[in-house]
Amino acid sequence: MNRLDALRGTTPPKPHDARAIAALAANPGCTRRALMDGAGIDKDAVARHLGFPAPFGQSPFAITRGNAFEALVKADGCAELIRMLRELLGLPIDEVAYHDVENVGAHLRHTHTRALIDRAARGEGVGTVYDHPLFTLGIAGHTAYLEPDVVAFQLGGRFHIVEIKSFAVVDGQADPAAVAAAARQAAVYVLALRTLLEELGHDPLRVADDVVLVCPENFANRPVATLVDVRRQLAVLRRQLSRMTSLDRLLDALPEDVTFDLAPDADGRPARPVAELADAVRRAEARYAPDCLSTCDLCFFCRDEARQEGASDLLGRAVRDELGGVASVREALALADGSRAPAQGQEEIARLLRGAERLRRECLA
Amino acid sequence: MSDRLDELERRIDELRAGVRRAMRARDGSAARALRAELRTAEKAWDSLVSGEKPAGKTQGPRLVTVREQVHQALELLGAPAQARLVVAVSGAFLAGTIRSSQLTSLRRDEERSFRSSPFGRPYYLCAALTDRLSPARGYLTVSTWPVERRVVGPLSPRVDFLTCAIRIAEHAAGRRSPDGDRLLSRMARNIPGAGDEVPPDPARVAEAARRELAVHAGRDAGDRAELAGRADTQLDDVARLFGATTLTTVPRSVMAMGGGR
Repeated sequence: MNRLDALRGTTPPKPHDARAIAALAANPGCTRRALMDGAGIDKDAVARHLGFPAPFGQSPFAITRGNAFEALVKADGCAELIRMLRELLGLPIDEVAYHDVENVGAHLRHTHTRALIDRAARGEGVGTVYDHPLFTLGIAGHTAYLEPDVVAFQLGGRFHIVEIKSFAVVDGQADPAAVAAAARQAAVYVLALRTLLEELGHDPLRVADDVVLVCPENFANRPVATLVDVRRQLAVLRRQLSRMTSLDRLLDALPEDVTFDLAPDADGRPARPVAELADAVRRAEARYAPDCLSTCDLCFFCRDEARQEGASDLLGRAVRDELGGVASVREALALADGSRAPAQGQEEIARLLRGAERLRRECLA
Repeated sequence: MSDRLDELERRIDELRAGVRRAMRARDGSAARALRAELRTAEKAWDSLVSGEKPAGKTQGPRLVTVREQVHQALELLGAPAQARLVVAVSGAFLAGTIRSSQLTSLRRDEERSFRSSPFGRPYYLCAALTDRLSPARGYLTVSTWPVERRVVGPLSPRVDFLTCAIRIAEHAAGRRSPDGDRLLSRMARNIPGAGDEVPPDPARVAEAARRELAVHAGRDAGDRAELAGRADTQLDDVARLFGATTLTTVPRSVMAMGGGR
């Protein structure tokens, strides 16, 4: 049994989806998350057993709204989408061929996707819009199945991933966090399609770095498309995935006997003592940031831990980076009021903190 | 009258408590039944307090069946269409009362009816056929149409969309209605050169759709002829109307029997 299986214990591995893979890229520095995802651990079950369940997952209303909007964009042979691609990318009038990969049985979808993409890349047959394709991506030895909304092709011989999201673009502006999450998710699909093309012996760079993001415009339900450059997200994702395949280094730092096994009983309910599991989880170092609250099931556990340690991570990435080399809030405060002498390398930040403390006192006086 | 109101209020309170108890006991069916009763009681209370006679069904009896309404809409469109469009057309031009949710089991019911007595009805609402001759997801067609019209090649969704747009524009030119204009302008937006004025100009929309249709028609007709030829030679009567069975549509019981052996 390899080390990762030992970490997971008797629980079956949890398959990754695009959201989970995208969330990996959101916090690349977190060892705890890298290990747990690498081992395919059900983080939600762990968090619940630890007593820190995250109110996670999409609301049913958001899902219904998302599905309705997607159906609107794809209605009548992707009529809306084709209009937007014509406007945005100059798609020629005769490029309207539509393939619904879901017309084949579920077990054949991936093979069918491969065949269609291969044919398109060779320039045989017609194909512009591929609906419901199914890609695979190897994540630390497991195969994850991914379903992008639509793949569009034949825009100058390049493939474009189309991501349909139901958050609104108002006056050309959208919620930056939502766009960032969509870009991360789309980057996962770009990577999966590139891997597929490479396997088929085509040039992977025929998949464009720009993904087409389709959102409702202003306060109506009318869809609008924008190009989003995902090169940065791709780079982060690649690094994170290569890190997952080389988890050995992270595993070596972990004591031999650590396992995140929930030890489920006959009914499948976790039976492992909570304190023991919490100790095991704490052995793997986390890097908590407030954004974890929207991407990770273990967020409340890590936040609680960070609070107990008074870690500067709690205050967000920007503050943590400013406070480089100062690990906890208490230490920062001590440096500010001068009750603690700065260690080597901390002189600069100590000077800034003392300055800030002086300003604060002057303001309050 | 106030005695009656008091009594209803007591009844409503009781029913609410009952629903709560049923929910706590996770007894879904009891909760549903109690909720229905609660709604009736509340409606009675509403009409009593406002001095109205309890009204029966506000909708008159449906004179045309769902099946017939869908048929009329499809005949107007003249091409395979998705449920959304069928409902929109029926509502805008045919004073239809159907909702999308009523169409979900339609195709299956038709297939069952056809299997029990083949060709017993003048028409059946059936599936469009994909390039694998399996039923295309979401499309509705009429059995009296030629097979060429009922198959879906790669270009067919667009061709069908344009055909539908032309038919709707022609129909809308005769009798303008706000719903019809809304439907037409939604389609016009996705056809190059159809203009975006409100209300849309039906002649211009039809003209623009015809212009784009001319680009695709030749290639699409070739695909369709090839598919129709295959459907004619390879499929039996049921499959020609409702699509060849793919592995996933084999009933579970059959799969279990096969797997058990």
